Amino acid sequence: MKRIALLLLVLCAPALAATFTDDEARKIQSHGPWPAPWTPDPSNRVSGNKNAIDLGERLFFERRLSVNGEISCSRCHLPERNWSDGLRRAVGLKEVDRNAPSIVNVRYHHWFGWDGAHDSLWAQSINPILDPRELGMNAASVATFIRSDRDLTCRYRKTFGAAPATDDEKILVDAAKALAAFQETLVSGRTAFDDFRDALARGDRAAMARYPEAAQRGLKTFIGKGACDTCHTGPAFTNGEFHDTGIPFFVRPGEVDPGRYGGIKKVVSDRMNLLGPYNDDAKRSTATGTQHVALEQRNFGEFKVPSLRNLESSMPYMHNGSLATLRDVVKHYSEISPDRLHSDGEAILKPLHLTDGETADLVAFLQTLSDRGGQYQRRPFPEDCR
Amino acid sequence: MRALLLALVAASPAAACELPGGNAQKIQSEKYLVLYRTSPAPLAVGRHFSVEFAVCPAPESVRVDAWMPEHRHGMNYRPTITGSGEGPYKAEGLMLHMAGKWELVFEVRAKDAVERIAQVIRLQ
Repeated sequence: MKRIALLLLVLCAPALAATFTDDEARKIQSHGPWPAPWTPDPSNRVSGNKNAIDLGERLFFERRLSVNGEISCSRCHLPERNWSDGLRRAVGLKEVDRNAPSIVNVRYHHWFGWDGAHDSLWAQSINPILDPRELGMNAASVATFIRSDRDLTCRYRKTFGAAPATDDEKILVDAAKALAAFQETLVSGRTAFDDFRDALARGDRAAMARYPEAAQRGLKTFIGKGACDTCHTGPAFTNGEFHDTGIPFFVRPGEVDPGRYGGIKKVVSDRMNLLGPYNDDAKRSTATGTQHVALEQRNFGEFKVPSLRNLESSMPYMHNGSLATLRDVVKHYSEISPDRLHSDGEAILKPLHLTDGETADLVAFLQTLSDRGGQYQRRPFPEDCR
Repeated sequence: MRALLLALVAASPAAACELPGGNAQKIQSEKYLVLYRTSPAPLAVGRHFSVEFAVCPAPESVRVDAWMPEHRHGMNYRPTITGSGEGPYKAEGLMLHMAGKWELVFEVRAKDAVERIAQVIRLQ
């Protein structure tokens, strides 16, 4: 009788498609918990401020923030497309050279843009406003617009404690700080992977077994044969740094995108950087990277490691949008040609030679990094600001 | 005999070497003893850290770097170093941006000779 009961227990115990060693379990747990802890940005005095978030949200969807009055930030960062645009290359007033990166979870980053040309979210937010191919404004036109709009002037005063004055550049930076405060609120929701990761942490095999079998096998490849977690680290699945992944960096015949090499040159010479006068943190506590970043020849053609959260809805992929599907991305790493990587660069990537089954499993795992609904709802704004 | 032994102990780098604050790691090479401590400890992927250290006997100069031998690359950041003599020194602005095996390297220079003193760090 006792033996039959034991047999039934074994038969009824939840089955796991993959078993994980202690080392693998530790690696899996390093990708959580989610959401990860976050503290407001000390370089932005209105980071986390409710009035700033309201002002930033309004500016984000404001078409009058462009030179032709027709384009807002949301042109390339659409909520329903994981805050990207679904296009190969983003299009503002003109087409730009890179794919629009998603801004969800951007509050966890320390470099901004595919080349890391900005070291704070507020400095990054200035870039598209001024870029003649994007919104095409300048400091004077932004300041004039805010000063001339009664509602925005009121919200600016509520946020920064004084009405917009005559210093146009300061108003531009303040507007960018409000935009940053809004973007910091965009955090992806929990995923099937997060439930699995937490179940693993507490040893709950029944909950673990609810994670799709293909995803379990794909996860094993992700942290094992694929070594994808070498760069896609931590709860956000990115180390926030830059690598050459063998994606061609010709923008058009005869013209290349220098990637991180150009990004470093820009950020160290940018007066809006964290070493400059607009950093609100007297201690410069988040400026260590800017102070110490090293320019090397190998930075040429390196691009930022993107987060893998909500990846499924932010296609196409890579800095130039050249890969249409997740399967294409996995195939790229499976068949990568070492000849396409810098000879003086890193020796990280080698062809993985994944089977069709391994490829499908890895895609299945990546799909479980997307949240389930909970889409952003734009809040109605009160008409009057007093 | 006893005096000779005492003199030998006094002359060895370990006897005089000190890094105030405790909890120092030791690396002993043929010529040098390096005592170091990172902040924060333990290190985490993608997080800036500093290294306080002492080198005995005192070198003319010292550089600190980190290197990922299997991936053939170093850090994306160049640390600045303050301190002199046997130390204490402080290297700031380091970051290990990938998981895996790193070498924390102290490049010690004295009388035109450079010695590379490395400690393996496995970052999970």
